[in-house]
Amino acid sequence: MADDPQRNFRSAYYEKVGFRGVEEKKSLEILLKDNPLDLEKLSTFSQRFPLPSMYRIHVWKVLLGVLPPHSDSHALVAGYRKEQYQDILEALEVMRYTNASTPSTHVYLRMFQLENQVLPRCSETSTPDEENEDFLSISRAMEEIVDDPVDCYWLIKSFVNQFHTKFGDSVPHLPKSLEHYLSQEEPRLLNHLKSCGALAQLPYSIWFRRCFAGCLPESSLQRVWDKVISGSCKILVFVALEILLSYKIMLMGITRPGGVVRFLCNIPQENTDAIVTKAIDSWHKYCGTPMHAV
Amino acid sequence: MAREQPNVGDLLPLLETSDLHQLEEIRGVINEHLSTERGSMLLNGLVDYFLETNSAQAMHILSSVREPHDKHLLDKMNECMTKQACRLPTLTLLGHVIRKQPSWIHKIARYPLLLSLLKCLKTDTDVVVLITGVLVLITLLPMIPQAGKQHLWEYFDIFGRLASWNLKNPGHISEVYLIHLHASVYSLFHRLYGMYPCNFVSYLRSHYSMKENMETFEEVVKPMLEHVRIHPELVTGTKDHELDPTRWKKYEIHDIVIECAKVSLDPKEASCEEGYATMPENFYPQIHLRPQDCTSSPYTDLHSSYGQKTLHTYQGCSIIEKKILIMIVLVNTEIMIIQYHDSLSFGTMLQLLNPSSLCGMATPPSSRGMSPNLELSHSASHLSSRFHCTSGQPLHCYNIFQPGCRCTVVQHTFRFKIHHNCPYVVSAAAAITEELLKITEEQLELSGLRGFDSPFYHTTETLTGCQAQDKTLSNTQPGGPVRDPHHVVSTPDKGETTASTSDRGVAGDGRSSALGLEQSWSFQSGFTPIDHHLHRSPSAPDDESFFDLALPRAASLFVGQKTSEAVHKDGEEEGVASASPLEVLDRLVQQGSDTHDKVLKRLPLPSKSADWTHFGGSAPLDELHTLRSQLLLMHNQLLYERYKREQHAVRNRRLLRRIINATALEEQNNAMKDQLNLQSVDIVSLRESLQVEQQRYRQLWDDRETVVTRLHSQIRQLQQGRDDYYTKNQELQKRMDELEAELQRANNKVCHTGHLLNQMAIKLSNSESTQQQMSFLNKQLLLLGEAHKLSTQELHHTGADNAKEAQMLKLSYGKEVEMLRQSLLVQGQKLEAAQQRVAELETHLSKKEHLIAEQKKFLEDVKCQAKAELQASDSRYQAQRRITQLLQTELLQLYSRVEMEAPANGQSQLHTDVEVDSRLPPHDSPRGNGSTLSPRQPKGSNSSKKTTANSINGSQDLAPPLLVEPSLSCPYGNSLAPLPASDAPLTVGSYPSAKSFLGMRARELFRNKSESQCDEDQPQTRLAGLAHGLKTELCVEPPYPGYIGIVCPAPSPVSTPLPAPAPAPAHATPLTVPTKEPPSEPKQRASSQESPRRKAGSGGGRGQASSGRPRQQQQLKIMDYNETHHEHS
Repeated sequence: MADDPQRNFRSAYYEKVGFRGVEEKKSLEILLKDNPLDLEKLSTFSQRFPLPSMYRIHVWKVLLGVLPPHSDSHALVAGYRKEQYQDILEALEVMRYTNASTPSTHVYLRMFQLENQVLPRCSETSTPDEENEDFLSISRAMEEIVDDPVDCYWLIKSFVNQFHTKFGDSVPHLPKSLEHYLSQEEPRLLNHLKSCGALAQLPYSIWFRRCFAGCLPESSLQRVWDKVISGSCKILVFVALEILLSYKIMLMGITRPGGVVRFLCNIPQENTDAIVTKAIDSWHKYCGTPMHAV
Repeated sequence: MAREQPNVGDLLPLLETSDLHQLEEIRGVINEHLSTERGSMLLNGLVDYFLETNSAQAMHILSSVREPHDKHLLDKMNECMTKQACRLPTLTLLGHVIRKQPSWIHKIARYPLLLSLLKCLKTDTDVVVLITGVLVLITLLPMIPQAGKQHLWEYFDIFGRLASWNLKNPGHISEVYLIHLHASVYSLFHRLYGMYPCNFVSYLRSHYSMKENMETFEEVVKPMLEHVRIHPELVTGTKDHELDPTRWKKYEIHDIVIECAKVSLDPKEASCEEGYATMPENFYPQIHLRPQDCTSSPYTDLHSSYGQKTLHTYQGCSIIEKKILIMIVLVNTEIMIIQYHDSLSFGTMLQLLNPSSLCGMATPPSSRGMSPNLELSHSASHLSSRFHCTSGQPLHCYNIFQPGCRCTVVQHTFRFKIHHNCPYVVSAAAAITEELLKITEEQLELSGLRGFDSPFYHTTETLTGCQAQDKTLSNTQPGGPVRDPHHVVSTPDKGETTASTSDRGVAGDGRSSALGLEQSWSFQSGFTPIDHHLHRSPSAPDDESFFDLALPRAASLFVGQKTSEAVHKDGEEEGVASASPLEVLDRLVQQGSDTHDKVLKRLPLPSKSADWTHFGGSAPLDELHTLRSQLLLMHNQLLYERYKREQHAVRNRRLLRRIINATALEEQNNAMKDQLNLQSVDIVSLRESLQVEQQRYRQLWDDRETVVTRLHSQIRQLQQGRDDYYTKNQELQKRMDELEAELQRANNKVCHTGHLLNQMAIKLSNSESTQQQMSFLNKQLLLLGEAHKLSTQELHHTGADNAKEAQMLKLSYGKEVEMLRQSLLVQGQKLEAAQQRVAELETHLSKKEHLIAEQKKFLEDVKCQAKAELQASDSRYQAQRRITQLLQTELLQLYSRVEMEAPANGQSQLHTDVEVDSRLPPHDSPRGNGSTLSPRQPKGSNSSKKTTANSINGSQDLAPPLLVEPSLSCPYGNSLAPLPASDAPLTVGSYPSAKSFLGMRARELFRNKSESQCDEDQPQTRLAGLAHGLKTELCVEPPYPGYIGIVCPAPSPVSTPLPAPAPAPAHATPLTVPTKEPPSEPKQRASSQESPRRKAGSGGGRGQASSGRPRQQQQLKIMDYNETHHEHS
């Protein structure tokens, strides 16, 4: 990317001096001009830099496979996606799974279930289980981020699918790695958590299964998801680590595991941006800045 | 000390104490007081005291007064000047003070004292006062030369007044006073003429041009003018210039005095310095003669007149008086001798003193005639300078009176002794004074006894007495009277010698600077012998050695040595030197007058009167007064002369300094000359050595030159030889070249000949072989000839037909060959064209290949795109299928519900239809239609079963209807289903669609890749399908068993050909099909097809549709492959 003639030659220095994201928009535009789109480059970019919000949805769609790499067929594929969505939606309506009053997230859930052939009978619809709750919170977050319901549904679906297919195996190991990094960063806190027994009860499901949906505000969340979508689930560990470190004093003050969990489930929403920034930094620090596979 | 403090004035009388110690103390106190106090009290007291008592101590203190008191002193004196009574002592005091030359003396011009002095001189009538004042003025004038500007005309007026005094006031005063006055006026004349010549001359001109003053001029001034030279200033200076203060700045006091003396022609007044001494050669004898004439020199005149007059006057006086007078005169004369160093005057004085000389023997010739021996000395003195006279004249004079009288000579010597003791031997002088005093007293006694005596006798007696005394004195000295004659004789001789040397020196070069030096030395040397005789034991060798040392420098050293020794000796002799001899002299005179007073008082009045009357003199008191004032005048004169002497001494010291410097310089000069000589000697030696060196150098140079020339010639020879060698060498080389060429040629020849030889050998062998051949050929020829003969014979036999045929054949062959050749050419051209074509085609091919590669790339791209799109549509299709499935399950559910209701409510299809219709919303009517159609589905499924069977059998034609049917059977997805259905084969068909050459090639090229892709795709889909199938199995199967169980009881309707109640068989078939199918299918299908089959089967009725689709696609693909395979194979 640095060799790209269309890029400002100063961009490398901007980064050195600490102005991050000055030239990213431009370089991203250059990337998006490619036909077909280079998914690897896109994902590397998204891992390295925060995505400009105006391109975020598009990039996500491409990375998640909602749109094909060939931009020529975008319109066609988008048409397909839309039709599919409408078909499913209509079918569900016809089958009275949903009606006008049903919240969109539930609609998405039903659609997702339908597509995965796990839609229970209308009569058998029960309270959503754990998995459904994860989906719902993710879709709630995504709904906030994305306006268009078609895109929203597709993104949710692709995100969840990709997450499960890609990181399904590594998610169970994330708590362990969190413990490891915590021991490196702040062993006292770890000891405290261990001693009060809260370590095992930390809200891992929120953090690692829902990817912090419902935990962080969407503005911060989308930056975390950039990384997740572009292929790294490690970021989740670092976000969790930073949350713990940021509220270390409060956590040290709480001795009961229940209190710890309660606090962590409802962390204050003020400085989550800073937490995320720090998390990305430490992620870069520990896992190294992803280089471009050119 | 403390007791003196209250009033120092009380101490003043104590100054007269005889206790020396106390005197010192008191003087110390007074001086201390003066230095501490600034008031005028004490000073005034002192002055008053002096005026009262004439105390020497007070005078001493006053004359050494310091700076702040000068004003008081001068003021006080000014005050005293106004009083007639105090005027004389005041003037005396002033004279003392001035002669002391205090540092503040120049201020006197600013004080009124000077004015009052001048006024006094102009107005006073007392001669004594006037004389004293004039002397003071004369002394003062060089000290305040710049003051002349204001007071010049007053000085001149004073001069005029005093000069005419005698003529104006004839008989008013005594002759003695007149003499003194005249002398002082003469001095004043000299001083004024010396200091202010222009102004003075102009004054004289103006003043004496008047008739009334002519007499004075003739009488007084003119003689004076005869004794002065023309002053140089009269020529160069102006009136204003000589009054200019800057003119006087460079002069010291003694300079001025000497300047004044310089212009004088009078030997008594004139200076002996600076070039004037050369003149006296002729001049001095004249002067010398003049005294005898008693006309010219005022001094001589003065003295002669004075002597005459005095003696005449005193003829009547007592002899004691006379003697005292003589003593005084003697003392004066001595002083004169001391000051002028001129024994001429002294001698004259002696002459004058001698009554006999006064009586007519005043002329030298008479005296000369008396002693031829002395004549010589006299003439010698005439010829020599006045220095000669110093020793010569007195002797002569004495000898006049008493020829051969040793005593006089001794007396003379004694005088000289005194003179010489003056500067050095104070004590001796004091002793002499005492002696004199004694003599005087003796004389007094004698006179008293003898009564009348001739002056001559008395004088002689006095002299003899003196001589006697001297004898006693000289007895004590080594080299006593016995040697006196020797002295007498020797001394003048020495003097003469010295003088002659000096004269010679003078006559020799006449240098003024050297003259003073020489003169002073000659002067010294002239007197030194006497000194020498007096203080040391004189000896002839000593004298001789001295004269050997008569050279200036050596003499100075000698004198210095002597002086120091003398001083030392004197110190031994006398111990403390308390007062200066001059002071002592003053005191003596004073004391003499005192004693005289005493004696006078002792004398009885009658006798006194008798005495006076006897001599026919004036009143005794008057006489006494005259004598006193005369004494005073004498004292004054003495002091004045002493003052002049001091000035001379100062000058002498300075000149001495110069001499020393000059000698030092001379010495230096000599040293430098010596050095110069040495250096010149050095230079000469160096020059010589230089010459030697040059010579040597030249020689060496010549040697070198010769060697060089020799070497040059050698070089030349060698060069010539070398050139010869060169030429020879070249010649030799040329020759060698020629020889080489020759050699080459020879070699060539040899080679050539060798070659030729070879050729010849070859030819030879050839010729041999040819000879052999020849022989062989000859043999053959012979044989052929024979054969020919035979053939000709035969030919003759056979005939000539064959020849034509052969010719024809030959022709035809030739033509054939030609044709063949042409055809070959054409073939070659064709070949070339073909090759070109091949190359062209090959380039074309490569281009095509390139194009193909591009196409492939593009194809890949398009494939990817298509794949993505396909995936999208596939996912849509999947969704559709899911929807359909769901709808089916829903439908089934509804059916089951309907059926469950049907057994209860009666088996009416219509009812159910109605029910379904009633249950469904009105817009679901198409669905209702669909459901009506659905009974066909089992048939379709059957047919599909059939198709599968058919396909197994290889019939492909049935597949499309099968495909269409299920899609048609689903009315809901009708609008969408055909599209993908038609789309799918289209896209897939794009592979085989390119059946052209290119397409085939592409296929061939990408077979492997696409195959692998396909292979990848297949397992993927298969796996996905498997996963789906498993999922569906897991998820769906549990509810089905019951359902199956429910359905199972009705397998019969399936087999029934009637369109039996659709749901049941429809349901049954999918359920049963899988159960039935697995065993049959694996047998007929390839292993790859097995899994989808099974999946479809295991999927059950619900999964049938879903599994059907991929299978179809797969089938299509496989077909595709098969097709391609077929085509390929």
